[in-house]
Formats: sequence, C-alpha cells, structure tokens
Amino acid sequence: MADLEVRNVTVSYKKQIGIKAASLQANAGEIIGFIGADGAGKSSLMHAIAGVIRFEGEISYFSEVYHSPAEAEKIKPYMGLMPQGIGLVLYETLTVDEHLSFFAHIRNLRQDAAFKAYRQKLLHMAGLSDFTDRQAGKLSGGMMQKLSLICTLLHRPKLLILDEPTTGVDPLSRLELWEILDTIRKEEGTIILVSTAYMQEAAKMDRVLLFDEGEILARGRVSELIDSVRAYTYEEGACIGKDNAESGCLSFDKRSYSLDTLAAAHAEPTLEALFFVNALRKKRILPKIEIEARESTLEIPETVMEAKGLTKNFGDFTANDHIDMRLGSGEIVGLLGANGAGKTTFMKMLLGLYPIDEGELKLLGKSIKSSEDRQVLKAKIGYVSQHFALYKDMTVRENLIYFANMHRIPLSTALKRIERYARELGFDAYMEHLPGELPLGINQRFSVAAALLHEPVILFLDEPTSGVDTIARAQFWEMLHRLKATWGISILITTHYMSEAEYCDRVVLMRQGKKIADNTVKALYAKHPQARNFEDIFLSYYRSEA
Amino acid sequence: MKLSVIKAYMLKEFTELFRSKLIIMVYVMPSMIMLLFGYGIRMDVTHARTLIIDNDHSHFSRMLTAKFEHSKYFNAKLTQISEAEALHRIKQAKADIIVIIPSSFEKRILHGQHSEIGVFVDGAFPNRGMTMESYVQGVILDTAQSVGRSLGRQSGMISINSRNLFNQAMRDADAIVPGLIGLVLFVAPAILSALMIVKEKERGTIFNFYASPLGRGEFLAAKLIPGFLLHSLNIFILFLWATELFGVPFRGSFMLYWFAAEIYILISLSIGMLVSVITRKQVVAVVLTIIITIIPGFLYSGILMPISSMAGESYIEAHLFPVMYFNHIIYDCFLSGTGLASAKTVEYLGILIVYAALLLALGSMFLKKELK
Repeated sequence: MADLEVRNVTVSYKKQIGIKAASLQANAGEIIGFIGADGAGKSSLMHAIAGVIRFEGEISYFSEVYHSPAEAEKIKPYMGLMPQGIGLVLYETLTVDEHLSFFAHIRNLRQDAAFKAYRQKLLHMAGLSDFTDRQAGKLSGGMMQKLSLICTLLHRPKLLILDEPTTGVDPLSRLELWEILDTIRKEEGTIILVSTAYMQEAAKMDRVLLFDEGEILARGRVSELIDSVRAYTYEEGACIGKDNAESGCLSFDKRSYSLDTLAAAHAEPTLEALFFVNALRKKRILPKIEIEARESTLEIPETVMEAKGLTKNFGDFTANDHIDMRLGSGEIVGLLGANGAGKTTFMKMLLGLYPIDEGELKLLGKSIKSSEDRQVLKAKIGYVSQHFALYKDMTVRENLIYFANMHRIPLSTALKRIERYARELGFDAYMEHLPGELPLGINQRFSVAAALLHEPVILFLDEPTSGVDTIARAQFWEMLHRLKATWGISILITTHYMSEAEYCDRVVLMRQGKKIADNTVKALYAKHPQARNFEDIFLSYYRSEA
Repeated sequence: MKLSVIKAYMLKEFTELFRSKLIIMVYVMPSMIMLLFGYGIRMDVTHARTLIIDNDHSHFSRMLTAKFEHSKYFNAKLTQISEAEALHRIKQAKADIIVIIPSSFEKRILHGQHSEIGVFVDGAFPNRGMTMESYVQGVILDTAQSVGRSLGRQSGMISINSRNLFNQAMRDADAIVPGLIGLVLFVAPAILSALMIVKEKERGTIFNFYASPLGRGEFLAAKLIPGFLLHSLNIFILFLWATELFGVPFRGSFMLYWFAAEIYILISLSIGMLVSVITRKQVVAVVLTIIITIIPGFLYSGILMPISSMAGESYIEAHLFPVMYFNHIIYDCFLSGTGLASAKTVEYLGILIVYAALLLALGSMFLKKELK
C-alpha cells in the first residue's frame, strides 16, 4: 500500500462537479505534478486531500484514514497546504519575521536551537534573509510566494500540497522555488503534490496527472506521457493549408498536432502536446479567428512610439530608471522581467495613467507633455489590463457597448463593429453571457475586442495569458499575429511564459527598474549560443547582473 | 485549547489592527455616534418663534404676552400684522406659533363671558407641533389662574401639581444618551468581529486556519478576545461622555453597569461572528451587520418610544432583541438606581447572560473548518 492513497474522491459544488471519482497513490519522497486547464479539478482534489473541503470517497495517509474535513484534523500536524494565489496566505501588514513566528506559534512548534537553525536555513534558501523586517504587502510577487512556501515548510510537513505556487512568478523566482522543493523532498522524504501551468516544471516531476473537466485523463511518468502523444506530433508547418480547428490540425511552439496521419516529419513532443491531442480528441476547439482590415485609413509612421529616459519614482523608490524604448509600426515587442521589475509601471506611464517624472515620450512623432496630450495618447492606444477589467454583471455585449461609449464611438458604428469583432474573433455565440460563465480564453478575446473598438494604432497587453490554458494561448498568439498583419498595429506585451517571447519581434528585458536588454529574439539567440530555450537566455541575464 | 497558540494569534490580530489603522475606527466610531445622535436628537422644544397679535392692548392681554416672553420655550414677538400675514409667515417657516388675542378680551373676562384666544401651531412635525401646543396651553392656563386670582375669585378649582419622576428636569439628554450607549455597544463590536473573521476569508488567509491543527475554539478565542478587550475601554469612554459632556446623572451601581455592558459586548461580538459565517466579503459583512444591529438597536432601544407602550408585533420584536433588556438595566443605572433590588433588572441580566451563551454556542457551531 502506498503512503498516500486517494480512493474515488468526488468534490461537488452547488452547481458543478469539482472532481469526479479521482484516485491516486504517492510514496514518501515523490513529487506528483497536477496539470490541466483552469477549472479542470486540480484545486478541488488538492483541497480534499488537505482536508479543507467536504468530499465523498476515502483518503488514507499512512495509517490514518479520513472521509471528511473533521476526520482529516489528525493529519493536519503533518500536512502543509499552499493554496492558489500570490501571497494568499500572507498578512499584508506583518513582516517576514512576524510571519515565521506566527506560523511557528499556531503550529505550536518548540522554538529551540534546532528550530532556529532550520528557520535561518529556510530564510536563506528563499533569499529573504535580508528582508526579515519588510512587511509582506511590500514584497514582490516572487518573494511573496517564496515566503508563503517557507511558512508552509516551517513545521516540516510530510505531506506538502502546493496549488500553482509558481503561476505569475518570474522564471528566476520559479527556479529558486523549485530548488527549495527539491532540497526539502530529498532531506525530509516529503510527499509533494504540486500543480503547475508551466510544462517545463511538470517535466521535472516524478509522475504527472493530466486533469480535464473534473477527471484525471492520463497519468504516468513524463516519458510515458510523452510517448503516448508522439504519434500525433509533427514538425512545424505540417498543418499549412488546413491550419485550424475544423481541419483537426493545430500548431504552437514549433510543433503541429493532428490526429490524422500527415505526410510530414514527426517532432519530439513536450507535455503541452497532451493538451492539444486531448482537445483534438474531444473536438473542443475555440472558434477560429479571421480579421479584416480596420475601417479608418491611417498613415502610420515608421516609429509609432518612442520613449527616452522615462523615469518614475514612488517616494525614494525608483520604479523606472531612465528607460528608452522604441515601438515600430507593426511590431510586437515583449516586455519581460521578474515580478517587481517595473514592467507594469512602465506600461502605465506609456499609457498616460501615471505622470512621467522625467524623460520624453513621443507618440506618432508628437511629444506628450500636458494632460490633454495624454488624452490624445489614450485615444490611440488599446489596453488590456492584467485581470481583464470586465464588468461581471453585464453580458459580453453590454460590456462592449459600455467600452464603446467610453470612447465616444457613435452607437451605430459601435454596434456594427461589435458584431464584426464578435464574428471575426469567434465569440459571437457568447454575446449574451456574463463574463464569469465563459472560459478564460473567450474572456481574453473579448477583452482584446473591447480594446480594439476605437481602432487604436497601439495595443498594450499586460500578462494577457496568465492562467489561460495552452491551447487558448496558442490561438491568442495566432490572433495577435493576424492583427499585426491586417491592421499594421503595434503591440507591447508582458508575459511570464518564456516560450511566448519567441513569438515577439523584439524583446525588452527589465530588471529592478532598468532596461538590461533590447534586441530581436534571433539576435539574442545568436548572443547566447549555449541557450536551449528563451528561459535560459532570460536567466543568464538575471544571473550575470545579479 | 492551547493558551500559547491563542496568545500568538491574538498578537497577530492586534498587530494587524494597529498597522491597518482599524484601531481608529474602534475608538472613533462609538464616540462619533454618541456625539452625533446625542446632539442630533432633540425632542423638547425651546425658543419656538411665536408671533403674538394683541388686538386688545389691555392689562390682561399684556399679562399673557409677558408670560410668553418670559418663558425659555418661546421667542415671543408682539406684532401688528394681520392674521393672514401671520399665517403666511408660518408657511414661509419664519414662525412656529401664532397667538391672537381678540379685541374685547379683557372686557369679556371682566363680564364673566366666554373668550377665545386664537392659536395656530406649525404641525409639520407632529411631535414637535403637539409639544408646542401643550406648552401654549400651559401658558394660557397659567395666565387664566393668575387672572382669576387677581379678580379675587377663589380660582383654585383645578390646579395641576405634577412632578416627573426619574428625569425630574425632563432633560432630553437624560432620556436619550443612556439609550445611545446601548446602541453603540450593540453596533460597534459586531462590526469589528465580523470584519476580523471575514477579512481572512476574503484575503484567503483563512487557509492558515483550515489547513493547520488550530482548533475552532482557539481561532474564535483569538478573534473575539481582542474585540472584547478593545471595546471594554469604550464602556468607560462612553460613560464619561454621558456623565461629563451630556451631564446625565448616574444614580445606580457602576459595577452593575460595567458587568452588564461586558456581557452585552459579548452578545454583539457573537452577532458579528454569526454574520461572518454567512458572508465572504468585508463590504457585505459590514452592511449586513449594520442592518442587523442598528435598526433594532435604535427602534427598540427605548429612545424613540418606550417598549411598554408598544403593542402586537413590535412588542414581540422588541423582546427578541437583547437591546431592550440592556437598556432597561442601563436606564436603571443612570436614572433610578434601583439596581439589583429590582427583580426585573435581575431577570433581564439573566436573559442577557443566556443570550450571550446561546449566541457564542451558535457561532462556534456554525463556524466550519472547511471551504464552502
């Protein structure tokens, strides 16, 4: 019998099923990865195992058997849960040090010399030794996640449950989190269950479970799972001519996927292939995207936007330190950097949401100085914020009409445009739904539609793909490339998925408020011949300058 | 229940309360309600703007006018305007009362004939109108007696010798301020305890409770004790406002007041805890707590009308909420001072204790250590 056994666990909510009849086994020292789209049931199963939600079925951990949260009380001293959400379990006004004492106390740990040494070690591993007096609310996202993790590790749990600990965290912090986990499991023999949206991470786990619509579809070692989809994975370009959902062929990240046999060479699949093959099997593909030219004709100059020495201070903290950036016409620029590097601040300055403390900003050759200028600026830019600023109580159509009104677009024009975008971006079937009822991928599309209503020349996207599943991300990028081709629009985008950087024409890398690199993806690869993927390039910049 | 665990959790609560500045609300809100309502509710009428049209210009009519002029309840002004013009003044809200003395007023009285004085009162606010009317009647009755005496008649046919018990001065503050303490101590602790629990639900930190061996009792103790201690200080602050600022007398036992107030705070905290069981957002929790506490706290406090004069549903409702019981004790402490000698006070104190125990038990029963 395995150390942890989950038998036929079902979690149901008022209206839907979270996870249906799931079983799994795990042994001490194992890391089990949970992968799957948003709402696939990963969190539900984790909550059931952690004993924080009611469930049907049986879970046994060594000799303890439990069927409900009340019965699970007896394993809680050995268990650690880190729920999903950046800094979710932290108290904003408490310092790092106070967090550690608080967690030690509520777990009733004896604070002897051995404990103090362990605590020091954790702080050191998390790179938080110098920040013990800082309040949690003032830490960057990556630091918050590391603090949450060491707070969860403080009582040396033997069963560690981590729900997307790395989502929204930059590659460097992600790597550091993994190093901590690996050390802990080796030293303590902990069972670790971890869900992740990053397939490179999933590839490092001992075993992986693929979740979809409340079920565990596939499970096994990474190599076994990859073998199972090898037959459907082809070289990039195999789909050409029939590249879309109806034809049963999908492409993303240098590979193409099809259930039919294609006359093309096979490629080495990654775990992402699981999602594509599953989607093709279930014929669950988001509608395709067709984009026509914009209505207004516009002479777009070579340089659309130019920033020179832009600086933003918050008190004595410099969020952006003399940053130069040029955005050419029809160019997609990726803005990358760790949490707290100043990406969002920079974008907000370009948008005219923050006044510029120092430096010059030119839009279409004109300098932006007064607040009237900033008004003009806003009219030329479409912006999709980090969490899609949609109104949850209005339908998709009402949301779009509202955004059109905000831009003072005549109603007749607006209605026509809304219909057109809905058709072209493939969400016309969802017009009367509330955003909360729709998949994230559809919300993402109609957020972009809302940002395009006033036919801007520039589109700003702040982490539009965080938390969106692989396939929706693939189609999102396809949409951006089509927009660029037919509209000649310039796009500035931030993302934490390093594989997405490769879809950009140029990449700007930021670190601690400064620009540390600005080059085409090709040139960056040429500079770093040893890099296997873009993540390696990102990390080499961060490490060399650290 | 481990004391060290509760202590650590409470320390965290206090740190958060101070750093998030919520502590300001804990002390500013109760005093603010007390001052706003204490000064804002005025039932008695003073300085009613009174126009007197004297068509008689006699000794008696001047006597009547003088009585009005010497009363603190009226700002009397003798005018020569017409009746229509005077009524117009009331319409313009430039006067509250018109008193019209007819032309042959003295002559008719001397002849022992019936005489009528015209009185018009602004009745836009019924309560105020009725009060003013009775004041005017009082003045006229008083004058009539003086007139009777001056005519040498043995007029003492009827004389009213009234004395108000408990609130001899008939001061508004005495009637309202103790009730306000009952209102404030019902509303403020409930909001605080609801906020302290729901905040953890909204932020997600509630997982620290769900996923750790921390017991429900320990969690509740850590959440309720800080609110209890902080608001205990308010019992004294509010007492000082009442006695020092509003000059309300205190005739009863301070120990009784203190003890009853502590029990009452416990009830309020438990109500907040019950609200936090069914809400997930801080905003909703605050609004719901305010609705649940402030309406009964005000209506059934005895500020607006005495419970004994309520009938039917309102009488039952008044007995369902703890406000009434506490207010009985508190008015007793301030105004009459009978204390535990009164069987009713003892009974009501007992009811409050049962209330607190019941609500605490309900709260800890419904508070589940799991996600919904």
